[in-house]
Amino acid sequence: MSLLQRHPEQSLLRNRRLQGIVAAAVVVLALVPLTTTDSLTGLILTGLVFVMLGVSWNLLAGYAGQISLGHAAFFGMGAYVAAWLTTPGAAGFPAAIQLPILVAVVVGGLAAALIALVIGPVIFRLSGHYFAIGTLALAAVIELVMLDQRSLTGGSTGYYVQGDLSVGGILSHGDVMFFLTLVATVATIAVTYRIIEGSGGLAMQAIHDDEAAASSLGVNPLKYKMYAFVVSSFFAGVAGALYGHYTLYINPASTLAVTWTIDALVVVILGGMGTFAGPVLGAGLFLLLDTGLAAIVGSVATTIEGTLIILFIIFLPQGLYGLAEDYLITDVADSEDPPSDTVSGDEAVDTEPGVTPDEE
Amino acid sequence: MVTGELVSQSIVNGLLLGGIYAVAALGLSLVFGIMDIVNLAHGHMLMVGAYVAILLFAATGITPLLGMFLAIGLLFALGIVLQKVLLKHVVGEGIEQPIIVLFGLALILQNIGQLVLGGDARTADLGIPGSGIDLGFVFLSLPRTVTFVVAVLLIVSTWAFLQYTRTGQAIRATAQNRTAAKHMGIDTDRIYVITLGIGTALAGAAGALLSMLFPIDPYIGWSYLLKAFAVVVLGGVGSILGTLVGGVVLGVSENLGALYLGGGYRNVVSLLIFLGVLLLKPEGLFGSGGDGE
Repeated sequence: MSLLQRHPEQSLLRNRRLQGIVAAAVVVLALVPLTTTDSLTGLILTGLVFVMLGVSWNLLAGYAGQISLGHAAFFGMGAYVAAWLTTPGAAGFPAAIQLPILVAVVVGGLAAALIALVIGPVIFRLSGHYFAIGTLALAAVIELVMLDQRSLTGGSTGYYVQGDLSVGGILSHGDVMFFLTLVATVATIAVTYRIIEGSGGLAMQAIHDDEAAASSLGVNPLKYKMYAFVVSSFFAGVAGALYGHYTLYINPASTLAVTWTIDALVVVILGGMGTFAGPVLGAGLFLLLDTGLAAIVGSVATTIEGTLIILFIIFLPQGLYGLAEDYLITDVADSEDPPSDTVSGDEAVDTEPGVTPDEE
Repeated sequence: MVTGELVSQSIVNGLLLGGIYAVAALGLSLVFGIMDIVNLAHGHMLMVGAYVAILLFAATGITPLLGMFLAIGLLFALGIVLQKVLLKHVVGEGIEQPIIVLFGLALILQNIGQLVLGGDARTADLGIPGSGIDLGFVFLSLPRTVTFVVAVLLIVSTWAFLQYTRTGQAIRATAQNRTAAKHMGIDTDRIYVITLGIGTALAGAAGALLSMLFPIDPYIGWSYLLKAFAVVVLGGVGSILGTLVGGVVLGVSENLGALYLGGGYRNVVSLLIFLGVLLLKPEGLFGSGGDGE
């Protein structure tokens, strides 16, 4: 499949109408804490966390082609490092290292990125199935070790995180955390978009399509895999740190468990793997499913999610984005993309790496 | 205090447990070696097999040793349906799609386990925990010894099936060269169906055997998937003898790890061994190398 066929939306995001829609969406989201109930604010905040997880995992898996099953580890480590910094006492650290939440969240993300930087060269010795299982094992090791380090993590009972960002009687702590999460989500999307648009993104997709061919054309696979892994882990860590400081409670099961990996994966598959807007759409659908279905069918919801993943990947591999592209975006698109080339659904047979002349 | 007796007891217990690990791993290894997919739902299928044996035992008192055959039958059927309905769409389409389909299936099986059985751990509780043979230096617990013997029999049967039956030979031919096998008139689609059936049936068998030794809950799937994959990596994909040796190595090192580092590190030890071997020698400690591709 050619790069341009897989990413017809790249030029679309430069479309003014679409820019307007995006800006309006951000404004509407910013009004959420001011106009709705706390529980709805919390729900949409969770949705934003899903977006961050999905977008970051998609960079690594959808673009660079590295199916990591260890995303939860970075989410959880980001959450824990930030919690240690805002609430050092609970983990036995001296009170002197205490930092404001905003700084702690960024440091949490950096810590997750650092872990990725250190283990990346080792774990990327694996590829394909071995990489997937290796990352799953790595996340399991981190979870088990953290669970055992009771003094650092509070064991399975966890501990409460300090934090009060409420502004007078106007904005609650949760409201402020919502704004922070919204800003972080926009930043995640913007940074990931820049990477995908740039030469790094093209290199990642080339590695995805054919690592040997990309390598022979002078793309250093390890460098770009690391790039995707470190950036992806940073945003997963920030997402974890924000989530921990929204719920103000943290334990290994709620932050490090494979559940977060599953969530990232579901979000991306539903939305459309390797498409830019996919994870955003996918997070919306997943949020609806997770809350809506849970209300209607109760605990069967997970089964339905699992079934949807399977059905989507088999019958709708381009996800919601693929659907939207078929029915909506062809209408918005200007003449830049010849429509015959942007038909989604079946994978195009053109696997030639020589599409580079078409890049901007 | 770690005494010599404790160490030898741990080694023997680990060795006996290793047989079951090997059965679970053999199923994963067959599917991986022949179909080139990693069954991410393998651990969850093991969990289903365990529950089949537990529920049958609870309802009728039939021992899990016999319940195992029900588990084998049901999971063989599940494997066949899985291949015929879902995986045939995605096998050979690269690694992403099968991984994700099986991930989804794992999610479904875990959720069904929770719904039907609740989150609590259950065991077949045979009521014979104390029985066994005291050899003086070590104590051979009867359930562990019996499950080990059954595990070895299962492995030998699988080996004999692959070695001496026509279907087994066709499976091995497909593993060696899919295209050539097809040209020689082997119905490779059918081989895939049978292979996945056997692979999942072995997961079911391992689950039934484990239910006699340990409490089972709906969340054990990921953990046993990783254990089974660790054994595959230790033993080498496609090597039956290697799988048995890998299972024993894993069982023994887990038990020694738990003895020296504390129970919380039982799984950490096996995962670290696994990651270490994976990174240093991905073709497996005992792998022949050629079968993995």
